[in-house]
Amino acid sequence: MLKKVFILILLVTSVNVFGQGKFIAKNAFISFYSSTPMEDILGECNEAVTILDSENGEIIFQSIMTTFHFKRALMEEHFNENYMESAKFPKAKFKGKIEGFSKDMLKAPAANIKITGQLNVHGVEKTITVPGTLGLEDGKLAATSKFKVTPEEYGIAIPSLVRDKIGKEMEVTVKATYLPFGQ
Amino acid sequence: MKIKYAIILVLVLIVVGAGIGLKMFFKPHADISKLDAEYKVEATAIMDEFQKDENAATLKYSEKPIEINGKLVAKNKLPNGTDLLVLENEMEGISCQLDSNWAAANPQVIQALETGSQVTVKGVCKGFLMEIKVSPAVVVSK
Repeated sequence: MLKKVFILILLVTSVNVFGQGKFIAKNAFISFYSSTPMEDILGECNEAVTILDSENGEIIFQSIMTTFHFKRALMEEHFNENYMESAKFPKAKFKGKIEGFSKDMLKAPAANIKITGQLNVHGVEKTITVPGTLGLEDGKLAATSKFKVTPEEYGIAIPSLVRDKIGKEMEVTVKATYLPFGQ
Repeated sequence: MKIKYAIILVLVLIVVGAGIGLKMFFKPHADISKLDAEYKVEATAIMDEFQKDENAATLKYSEKPIEINGKLVAKNKLPNGTDLLVLENEMEGISCQLDSNWAAANPQVIQALETGSQVTVKGVCKGFLMEIKVSPAVVVSK
């Protein structure tokens, strides 16, 4: 364990860390947002884990559904029990590849990218292509993305009584600041 | 006269019903500092449990208030201001996000925490994702 911490410190402090191994963020931010006539629905998670492979541009995101927090306890309850069925499908996962990836992207200022991969939510897997940014921000490697998903596509049934109150599409926002991770 | 009473009764029922409905709608989040821990464990012991059988450990601990005692290895602040305590292992240990209300009321407790020392944290276990996630959590003073 000490060795790992030591390697991590070594990598963080070393100048020439780019272009080798993997990058990790353990407290990546994911939110989804839907504006409704009654009130805005916003779920935020600060505990997503993401790994970026600097060799091939593969990127993985994973989050535990119950780590999404809402303003109202009732919303959180409905989200977990009625919609996401978090006990049955505890995690969401995205595994994708950055289009036209090159290692130079990790050293340059943030630029627009496209990522294609499989998003697995509520036990349903879909291939999606999403826009995003990747590059240095304040000297750290950061990635962001904003895209829309439709709950029904992932087999999430929303009762007709509240269907009109929840937007057809949910806007998903992703933000991660990476640290190099020794293998 | 009977109709009058019936109307009053219906009105009372409506008011009570609406009251219960509103109370449910505005129900606050559970206050973790007031919940009793269902399990009291050593950090290394619960890490072993998740390492050995993630599914069984998830079933046992997920969404339950637990109290964990372990070595504090990192104390950070997330971009959104949340205080984060990491126990035992920076990469694969136990990550505890402190309850924002509790943290705002107890800044001196957080301030006094030193990495390398033992700390006891009570929080809701969220399961395992590279590390054990606990949130929201509070520091238990001994």
